[in-house]
Amino acid sequence: VKLKVVVTGMGAVTPLGVNLATTWDALIAGKDAQVPLELFDTSGCRCHHAASAKLPPLPDFSSKALRRLSRTSRLAIPAAREALASAGLLDAEGRSLARELPICVSTTSGGMAFGEDFVRRILAQKRSHLYSQIARYLPQQQVLDLQQALQFSGPSVIIANACASGANSLGHAAELIATGAADYVLAGGFEAITELVFVGFDSLQATTTDRCRPFDLHRSGLLIGEAAAFLVLESEEHAQKRCATPLCRLTGYGHTTDFFHLTQPKPDGGALIEVMRAASAQAEITPAQIGYLNAHGTATPTNDGVEAKAYQTFLGDALGPTRISSTKGAIGHTLGAAGSVEALFAIHALRTGKLPPQLNLREPIPEVAKTLVGANEIATDLQHVMSVNLGFGGSNAALVFSRSDTA
Amino acid sequence: MKLDLAVIGQGAVTPAGIGIDALLHGKPVQTEIAPLGQPDKTWPVLRVNPKDPAFSRWQREPRLRRASPIAFFLVEAAEQALTGVSAEDRKETGLIVAFSAGCLVYSRRFFEGIIKQGQRSASPALFPETVFNSPVSHVATVLGLNGAAYALVGDESAWVGALQTASVWLQMERVKQVVVLGVEEFDPLVLDAYRSVRWLRRQNSAHGFLTSEGAAGVLVRRGESGRPRIISTRDGFIYRTQSQAAAAAEKLLDQIDPKLPLYPTAKNNWLGPVEEKATQDRCLLSTKDQPYLGEAFTASAAWNTLRALRRLSPETPQVLLPIWGLNHQLAFLQLGNGNS
Repeated sequence: VKLKVVVTGMGAVTPLGVNLATTWDALIAGKDAQVPLELFDTSGCRCHHAASAKLPPLPDFSSKALRRLSRTSRLAIPAAREALASAGLLDAEGRSLARELPICVSTTSGGMAFGEDFVRRILAQKRSHLYSQIARYLPQQQVLDLQQALQFSGPSVIIANACASGANSLGHAAELIATGAADYVLAGGFEAITELVFVGFDSLQATTTDRCRPFDLHRSGLLIGEAAAFLVLESEEHAQKRCATPLCRLTGYGHTTDFFHLTQPKPDGGALIEVMRAASAQAEITPAQIGYLNAHGTATPTNDGVEAKAYQTFLGDALGPTRISSTKGAIGHTLGAAGSVEALFAIHALRTGKLPPQLNLREPIPEVAKTLVGANEIATDLQHVMSVNLGFGGSNAALVFSRSDTA
Repeated sequence: MKLDLAVIGQGAVTPAGIGIDALLHGKPVQTEIAPLGQPDKTWPVLRVNPKDPAFSRWQREPRLRRASPIAFFLVEAAEQALTGVSAEDRKETGLIVAFSAGCLVYSRRFFEGIIKQGQRSASPALFPETVFNSPVSHVATVLGLNGAAYALVGDESAWVGALQTASVWLQMERVKQVVVLGVEEFDPLVLDAYRSVRWLRRQNSAHGFLTSEGAAGVLVRRGESGRPRIISTRDGFIYRTQSQAAAAAEKLLDQIDPKLPLYPTAKNNWLGPVEEKATQDRCLLSTKDQPYLGEAFTASAAWNTLRALRRLSPETPQVLLPIWGLNHQLAFLQLGNGNS
């Protein structure tokens, strides 16, 4: 089934900036958001840094209302507002002009920091503030925060397919539109850094104590990040009817499960190849037509090697002409938000021709050495871009975005 | 949203036993368990019997070696729903699981370990099992379900979102059929949580619920006339307070045919009075002959769906099933027999 879906709005809060424009400028300038982590004590961990975001102000919230918001909602609300504003769907007071607005989001841990604090208090037999913490911890509470802050209601879907979720949420939103279940959807992902998740990756020795170096032979692990990113997806007809300007089209979506192992991809990258082929087929393009590919590229020893092999197989002769980078070197791994944030980067590349450079690279993996984006690269005549993500549980997803003027 | 899903298979894991018969006629046994933060006070809880012979067939599965109860509940309910489906057809079967708390047992154990033993002692074996979609991955692998797989999160209404997602996949022709499941597992931490929000039933009180656990699910396809159907859904009626919930119920009920019989589901939770008031002029189906299985969020939503499907008959060709989400939104399912 062909997707006739356009992107009409985008917004993000990331470790590189409090909105999409500042994030993009810093990304293209080659800035790296790695900082010492100050959100909680990390003295028992191997790794002590992360890519943490600066929370944008929310002047319409009282100090009491702000205290009730999880860090995740503090990231999500401004990002969603930016996306709706750029789609022409936000009023001057920061409320959605669409009172009924389906929302499709992704996360891996929701408002986990509230849950962590709840457990600490329970184990310490402290009984104060328990209600406010536990009531706001689950992911649907961040959706409710968004719905109440932006004053809209309507169907909601929360996808938790680990680190591929952010791509799933965009792909699923596109399928809701393609099947006529929705005319438009606010779709995206959010994730805040929490101790449980940070220590979890640290316990797996998946985090780096060095810089995050995706696709480098001497890569040593990932950098935990946090972010929120939203897109407004619409049917072409709906966008036309309200005279919205399409930023690009979402033309392909592939997703599958890799059965090989709970935390490791199959060594030949078979599942990733399958989703890239499925997304390309749906977009009716060949691999050679993909001008830029935003890779998952976590910089863990296992992941990047498998990914590199998968790109070699999938792209074939196009490896080289198709430019690839993982932006996790700049903003870290934002887990449930990663697929959405990275899709925005791919779309910006498509629209501007500027390609996010592969940061912190010293000696590239040979399979992809000639295809990784260097500093200040500009691509002319990009027609299609791809963004791919993998996650625990074997989740694999790929999205294709195409220029809105490409037939 | 129109779904038109034919229900091909059903499965259930409950504190009253394993299987549909237990869901409809079983007798759950209460046990008394203390919350983590109040070891000297116990609360009645309804638990699935982990030693039920039905689980023994899954014990030797390599992928389930480290899995927590939630994966066992899921795999058993899914296998029941897939009865008679060949290995070849399973390759084109999708899997969608709706969770509320998710992998709570390992999440609590992992974080408690960090607090008590320090970050340095955090268990790398436990952490991957804390992720929402880990049990989904286990089930897909064990049962050979090669189609797409999603883990969805929310309150009870996530079950409705899961059915909607199945309908989308079938329309997109991503898969031939989909197993849709709701599941929750018990951990003493939930007693602390529900106690703090005053959801638990006190002794000798009719208010509040008993904490429960389990799973249930359906195998759905498009077409297949003559089968019971999930005809349509409505969701997105959001609330945070009881007055907002009452307004949501009024708004929803205004949009649906007042003549359709309704299967009430909120009796024992904080939304019970809201449901009772909102549906006082409706034709309500009796639920007295069904055993009380406690509150297990998305699993409860799935249990109620299977029970309501059993109420369909030539005399009752359609049933409305409200799905009261305890901390987000109200949704409903419209169910019909094969001829509706």
